[in-house]
Order: sequence, then C-alpha cells, then structure tokens
Amino acid sequence: MAESFDELRERLLRAGVAPRHVRRYLAELADHLADLRAEGERAGRSRAEAESAALIRLGGMDDLSRAMIGRRQFQSWCVRAPWAAFGLAPLFLLAGAYFVACLILWSGWKFLLPGANSPFVRLDGFAILYFGAGRTLYYSAPILVGWGIGLIAARQRYKALWPAVGWVLIALIGGTAQVHAGRPAAPGGVGDISMDLTLGPSLHGVSYGLYHALVIFALTVLPCLVWRLQKAHSLPA
Amino acid sequence: MAARETNPNFMNGVPQLLILSLLQQEEMYGYEIVQAIRSRTNAVIEVGEGVVYPVLHGLERDGALTSRRKAVNSRSRIYYSVTPAGSHRLADLSEAWSNLAAAIQRMLTGGQHG
Repeated sequence: MAESFDELRERLLRAGVAPRHVRRYLAELADHLADLRAEGERAGRSRAEAESAALIRLGGMDDLSRAMIGRRQFQSWCVRAPWAAFGLAPLFLLAGAYFVACLILWSGWKFLLPGANSPFVRLDGFAILYFGAGRTLYYSAPILVGWGIGLIAARQRYKALWPAVGWVLIALIGGTAQVHAGRPAAPGGVGDISMDLTLGPSLHGVSYGLYHALVIFALTVLPCLVWRLQKAHSLPA
Repeated sequence: MAARETNPNFMNGVPQLLILSLLQQEEMYGYEIVQAIRSRTNAVIEVGEGVVYPVLHGLERDGALTSRRKAVNSRSRIYYSVTPAGSHRLADLSEAWSNLAAAIQRMLTGGQHG
C-alpha cells in the first residue's frame, strides 16, 4: 500500500496541491485504510483479503487524486502565483536580510566604534562577533534564500523555469549589492549606511559583480541539481 | 435581463449536505462519517470512501467545520464538528434540497401547471 500512497503523493504534488494538504490527506487515508482492514479482519477475512477489499472501498487512484486536484483551494501558492512565490517573496526576504545586516553595521558603528570615521576598521573583542554576525548574514542571505527556493521547488516537484527566474534574480542582486558607509558630517557623529547595485571593476572584461553572481547562482542551484540527479537515479528503471 | 439562477452548487453540494447533517448531531472522524452515511441511507448512497476527506478539508477551510486531534485506543484521530457558519450552510442546503425534492416529486406524480 505504501507504493500506492507514494504514487498518489507524487500525482498530487505534481498537480500543484500544497504539500501540507497532501500530507494530511494521505495521513487520514492511511488511518481510514487501517479501519477498513480491521473491519474486514473482524468479519473473518484474512489480512490479505481484508487489505485488498479495503483498498477497493477506499477508492481508486484516479478518484482519490481527482477529488483533491479538482479543488483550487488546495493548490499551493507556487502554482497559483509562481511569480510571487519564486520572484517577489525571495526579493522581499533578501531585502529584509540586507536591511538587518545594515542595521547591525550601523548600530555597531554607533555604539561599538564611537567617533570612528568608518565601520570598516580593525576590530577587536565583542565588536568582532557583532560585526561578524552582520557580515555573515549579508554574505549568506542570497545563498540561504536561493536554497529556500530550491527546497520549495523540490517539495512541490516544480519544473525548473520559475525557480530559475528566482535564482537568477537573487544571484544578480546578491552579486552586485554593495554597502557604503558615509563619513559623519561632524566629528564624533554617526555617518550613514547605504546600499546600491553595481557591477564593480572588471577582470578580463567581466565585472566582479557578475563573477560574484555566478558563484552565488552555482552555490544555490547545486543542492537542487544534486537532489534531482539522485532522485532520477533512485527511480526504478 | 438578469441571469436566471441555477443550482449547480446545490447539485455538487450533496456530500456537503450529508456530512454537515451528520456532524450537526455529534463530532465524528472520517471513517465514522462514511459508515454513518452507509448505514443511515441503507447503502443507497455509497461514496468512494477516501474522497470524503477533500470534502471535509474544503468545509473546514470554508469555516463550516472545525477539527481537533483526539487519541482513541492509542490512535490519533481527527474529529470534525460543525461551526455556527456550518449550521447556517446546512440550513441553506437543506432548504434548497427540500425545494428541489418537492419539485421533482410533483413532476413524478403528475402535478399540474399553473
């Protein structure tokens, strides 16, 4: 029976039913099947007979999948609005992560480096940890968001087009984003932190921003690619 | 001219009507619901038993049902019960069904026009 439920799971996910609805549906079907089997066994059937009768009463694969797929209310947002799930949402997440990273940089500059002309100076003690947290968030955010896109796409058995759009966007923004610290206007004051997207200087005709974007793209796509290859190999011939 | 109202939702709403009607009396889990439909309709209405769950989940999403997990005989089951919104929906569906059944009955017994 596990194979039948596996097939049903794949059908539902590929048809765009949200994973949480699929999980709950299959759990309740499994419980229902156990009840039907127990009923058959109480009626004097062997376990095998009870199981096969229970499966017939539960419903065929086509009926069970159609009953769920036909209801739009169970479809995931990846299917209803892929542009939002793989385009807008990752952008907002990345923007949020950059905002927090800049906030850490600005607050660290104000409270841990009072009077310094820039937050990009030699650090020691607690400041190393504090600024390190911001730097880690800044550099890891595009990769984490990219992995999130891959995870959602894999869970939903999603085709590559929209996830690829999200990955390219994230890689381009992550690769070209740069943080600037403006000097304080008055001695002892706090300057300002700003961000922009720039390709930066070139090496062999290709800008550093694009190199960086390529690295981010490769790092984010790689786990999903490995997962897909592994899954393809694990499928029976 | 206003479009004439038809009742496709009602025709699709028979499983909802049966389920809401049962759950109005007591909370039940999926297997119980299907067995109750079989026994109370003398097996005239039989459904592919698994397809009851999308209907239950849909009613829950619409706010007509609530569910809670309950451990019974060392098994965890999801029990469903009707909400006030579900009671209203049941009343609407029941009225629509009664009107339709009465109309069909009149047709079958040769009721006169006008």
